[in-house]
Amino acid sequence: MPKVSPRNPATLADVQRLMAEAVMRPLRSDEGMQTAWKDGSPAADVAARIIKPNDRLSSFERLQIYNQQYWWRLLGSFAEDFRALRAVVGNRKFDKLAVAYLENCGSTTWTMRDLGRQLESFLRAHPELTTPHGPLALDVVRVEWARVIAFDEPGKSVLQPEKIAAVSPDRLRIGLQPYLTLLELAHPVDELLRKFKESQIETGAFSNAVSATVTRRRSRIAARPARRPVHLAVHRHELAVYYKRLEPEAYRLLCALRDGATLADACERAFAGSQDLPAASAGKIQQWFANWMHLGWLCSIR
Amino acid sequence: MPANRFNAHTAYGIGLGLRIPHYAHILEKKPLVDWFEIISENYMTDAGRPLHILDQILEQYRVVQHGVSMYFGNAARPNRDHLRKLKRLTKRTQTPWISDHLCWGSVDGRYTHDLLPMPYTWEAVETTARNIREVQDFLEIPVAVENVSSYVEFHVSEMTEWEFLSEVVERADCGILLDVNNIYVSSKNHGFDPYEYLDAVPHDRVAQMHIAGHTKFERYILDTHDHPVLDPVWKMYAHATKLAGRTATLLEWDDRIPSFDEVHREALKANTFLPDAKSLAA
Repeated sequence: MPKVSPRNPATLADVQRLMAEAVMRPLRSDEGMQTAWKDGSPAADVAARIIKPNDRLSSFERLQIYNQQYWWRLLGSFAEDFRALRAVVGNRKFDKLAVAYLENCGSTTWTMRDLGRQLESFLRAHPELTTPHGPLALDVVRVEWARVIAFDEPGKSVLQPEKIAAVSPDRLRIGLQPYLTLLELAHPVDELLRKFKESQIETGAFSNAVSATVTRRRSRIAARPARRPVHLAVHRHELAVYYKRLEPEAYRLLCALRDGATLADACERAFAGSQDLPAASAGKIQQWFANWMHLGWLCSIR
Repeated sequence: MPANRFNAHTAYGIGLGLRIPHYAHILEKKPLVDWFEIISENYMTDAGRPLHILDQILEQYRVVQHGVSMYFGNAARPNRDHLRKLKRLTKRTQTPWISDHLCWGSVDGRYTHDLLPMPYTWEAVETTARNIREVQDFLEIPVAVENVSSYVEFHVSEMTEWEFLSEVVERADCGILLDVNNIYVSSKNHGFDPYEYLDAVPHDRVAQMHIAGHTKFERYILDTHDHPVLDPVWKMYAHATKLAGRTATLLEWDDRIPSFDEVHREALKANTFLPDAKSLAA
């Protein structure tokens, strides 16, 4: 965002840049607006240059209303999408990481649905924000973001069985539905989330009302690492979001297809190093494809 | 007057905001409601449950789209990707008109997701009118702009809010979604006479009205949409309908949402404030 002199916001763009900058600055720990501007000067002076006081509120206090609304609105939406992450790291740590994340990765689209798009990479770059729950927190974030994707990401036309039969496996490439996410996890997050009962109603909707305060949640959850990696598909079926455990070979096969491998190459990669006899592998593949076709996971590349 | 070119010559009555907690009740009980207003952004997806629900609602009810993130008052031009998605939704809903707010909300690609108030300058009049015209031309349906509640006033303002609204809608040649509660809230926060506002706006451009509840704090009022409509707002609504005629009216209730029946009852109170309410009752 280009910097605007707080002294003379002359144009509409200047006023909007300056106000947006003020509105998006993190709140103090007592949820008031920061008293110092970024250059150390009093924020009250900056507010007074663009905003009129009235007989009840100073310019600073009037601007603070929007500063608070911005953070309460974004934090509320973010907390809705990452309820389990909050339960893993605890309220205080969650609030801190949420502010740090949203300050660095604020919204760049008209929908708050995308707020969490960069959260996994941000937390990987800032492990101190989730310590000592880092590995579990990362697994949970990946699953919760996959839920967002599964909820309303567009679907493509389902691949018909005759199209698979019509092309040789060494030339056939198959796509996966955009709402399907494949995850390899260190923790049994699917089981954890099934146990995690959220008492409050999820709204997940836009409105043009303002918030009087931000919602806080108290429940905590934890899980030990699984003995072996957990392979999970997060997907949508008949408008509901589901988790489906995958065998390691099935996971590798789907990942290979997703990455553009031919069917033949994908099968080879899936069973590389496997002790299974070819006949057993073929049986498994046949069974998996029948199931994936039933779930509508497979689609054309184009 | 109420059926005018800004609401596609429709004569809708009292509507309700379509909200998630009421989905099951509406789909199961099929209550008699004149129309529903949807928040466009909740359905600007290409798949998933929200669209599925909307399609079921559309089979039985008239729907009007109301947006919260077009930001007509942004210094920048409207987002084309947003417009394309919005237009796709208008084809689906067949909304006779579409509304959004007279505000700004994003700068240089960063979104505040708030309805930020305009500085009432001539430059802002020109910019906002240009953006509304662009949206209206793209969508090819009438656009109505809604006055917002505000908590700040800018030193650079060169006119009153109602002068600004009037100038913008005349230059954009668009309709007004007159939010009576927002006028009341802003009048208390800024110390102006809300009836002067109501009297001054071009009544022949009013396509729709909003009513809602608000929350009073010690030193200001917040537009929270979490209460029944307060008496002063009902009185203003009665005055507004005298000036603009019977107009499609929508009750907004977005937080601490009570049962569908309670919201519906509150909305239908609007009928008792219409200019010809006594003759209707008789």
